[in-house]
Amino acid sequence: MKKQHRVSFLKDFGILIVFLVLVIALSIISGGTFSSARNAINILKQTAVNGILAMGMAFVIISGGIDLSVGSTVGLSGVVACMFAHPAASGAGGQYPFIVPILMALLIGAAVGLFNGGLIAYGGIPPFIVTLGSMTIVRGLALIVSGGSPIYDVTSGFEAIASGKLKSIPYLAFYLIIVVLICAIVLNKFTFGRRVYALGGNEVAASVSGINVKRIRVLVYTISGVLAGFAGLLVASRTITGSPTAGQSYEMDAIAATVIGGVSMSGGSGKWYGIVIGSLMLAVISNGLDILRVNSNYQLVIKGFIIIFAVLMDIKGKAKKT
Amino acid sequence: MKKKILAAVLAAMMVFSLAACGSSGASASGSASGSASGSASQTSYKIALCMSHQTNAFTIAVAQGAKDKAAELGVTVDVFDGKQDQATQASQIEQCINSGYAGILVEPVSVDGIVPAVKEANEAGVPVITVVQKMSGQDQYAKAYCGGNDEAAGETQMQHVVDLLGGKGNIAILYGPMGSDGELICKQGYDKILAANPDVKVVFDETANWVTEEALSLVENWLSTGMEINAIVAQNDGMAMGALKAVEDAGLQDKIMVFGVDAVDDALQAIADGRLTGTISQDASGQGALGVQTMVNLLNGQTVDPVTYTECVWINKDNVNDYLSK
Repeated sequence: MKKQHRVSFLKDFGILIVFLVLVIALSIISGGTFSSARNAINILKQTAVNGILAMGMAFVIISGGIDLSVGSTVGLSGVVACMFAHPAASGAGGQYPFIVPILMALLIGAAVGLFNGGLIAYGGIPPFIVTLGSMTIVRGLALIVSGGSPIYDVTSGFEAIASGKLKSIPYLAFYLIIVVLICAIVLNKFTFGRRVYALGGNEVAASVSGINVKRIRVLVYTISGVLAGFAGLLVASRTITGSPTAGQSYEMDAIAATVIGGVSMSGGSGKWYGIVIGSLMLAVISNGLDILRVNSNYQLVIKGFIIIFAVLMDIKGKAKKT
Repeated sequence: MKKKILAAVLAAMMVFSLAACGSSGASASGSASGSASGSASQTSYKIALCMSHQTNAFTIAVAQGAKDKAAELGVTVDVFDGKQDQATQASQIEQCINSGYAGILVEPVSVDGIVPAVKEANEAGVPVITVVQKMSGQDQYAKAYCGGNDEAAGETQMQHVVDLLGGKGNIAILYGPMGSDGELICKQGYDKILAANPDVKVVFDETANWVTEEALSLVENWLSTGMEINAIVAQNDGMAMGALKAVEDAGLQDKIMVFGVDAVDDALQAIADGRLTGTISQDASGQGALGVQTMVNLLNGQTVDPVTYTECVWINKDNVNDYLSK
């Protein structure tokens, strides 16, 4: 009985322990630079985009699917948002109301999500293939719509979306916290959330027990899409540029964050706080290694090993439970 | 039923991607074809331009410069996008040989990767001229090189950095992808100037792979360390703009100068606004135009110079208005 408790504790909190060890080690080695307040704020800023993408990805993976298109959606939504964020003076026919670029980014995300969800749920095509296809299509659209060059010259209001702060806490941190809280509540307290877990755990059982599997599928991909659109808006605002190639391989980092956080690739399980830790971990690794001046190629190797290690722990945890 | 749909989608994707590879040239050409105007000896040559990619302002400017010059000379230029993959580019060159192009302009994705394809072109009697970047065995396989001189660009940029710093200070360098030509040759220029100025210290240097967001996060992290930085030198404007944003977010724009290369529109605007200190123009569209002009001269039977460099110009607040397109 005690051994079972210990294993389940490790599975849930193992990754938290690894994270804390990493943070302490980096603080010591960097002589306090890593743990400075200013650096902590940087880490929060750098986690925000990946964290938001990872929460959307979590819905999809928990439901038993995968979404490879989010990186491309980040690019397209950023490009489109910037096209509607030019100041009045740039003579493109006047300035759009502030809410327009934000809505455009979210709408693009929703459109991509609906496309994915629709084909997967009603066309019966595997998620990997559909989102692989939409990943390519959406990236192509981003290049076409932008003419291949980044869109620049945006209003300071648009810039403030991702660059502003409230009493030295960046807005990005607030967005991340709000998105995480909403997703956590939906996953744990709403019927919809339980159904997402059920679908991922056992599709046949879920369907037989009256869950509208198709509708849930469409919804999870739309959620992922909308969050990707939001992430794209934030990237564009943070860099004050709508780059058609932005977000390249962000889907991989989102998947990595969810996996490190304990979400099982086969669906049906995963806790929201795990994803937050996963995402923070990725930002901490990259930030810490930059401060220690570790070559970026080594960072890739280290990141890869951590992902594998996290999946190993997940598999071991599952094996012990059955 | 599901299997049929899956098969149909996969087939459609394959056809679509093949079509995209093959027709990227046709859809991008848009230049005048063989009009009768112009000198009687001017044949309407069909020339291929194989670019490494078409996803940033620089490469697009090169291609546009080539197309505009082609229209002026009465020849056709078809642009191919190598998607930054050497195998794709090699296939495109081979395709061009088979399609009967009179000459091929190439911006190599990789100096070695295109050698076999260029050899084939030479055997088939199709002349190859490199633009923007040289290839391995340049003198042996290519008839000419038209483009920027990355080492001169690096030297000019770094010399201005040193001058503006008064010969001493801490600098941070943002490289392109490590091992790429642009990065290596430009770095040679940097190293020359830095060797002559020992009081200018490089406190950080790392790659940001030409990507704006990557440069932003990297510079943010450097600034966190509290190490004094007086200037940030980036090998392209994309990264310079990311660095600039990080510097401004930290409120250090009066203490840190930022420099780029390429003279793309958003960088020029930033110089005019007093944010970016300067950039280097290597006349992207001029490189494309020069490539086409040289190819046409070659096809007309004239001898051409094996190397023609475009001018490398330092742009700062004083002369930026000459370069802004609006």
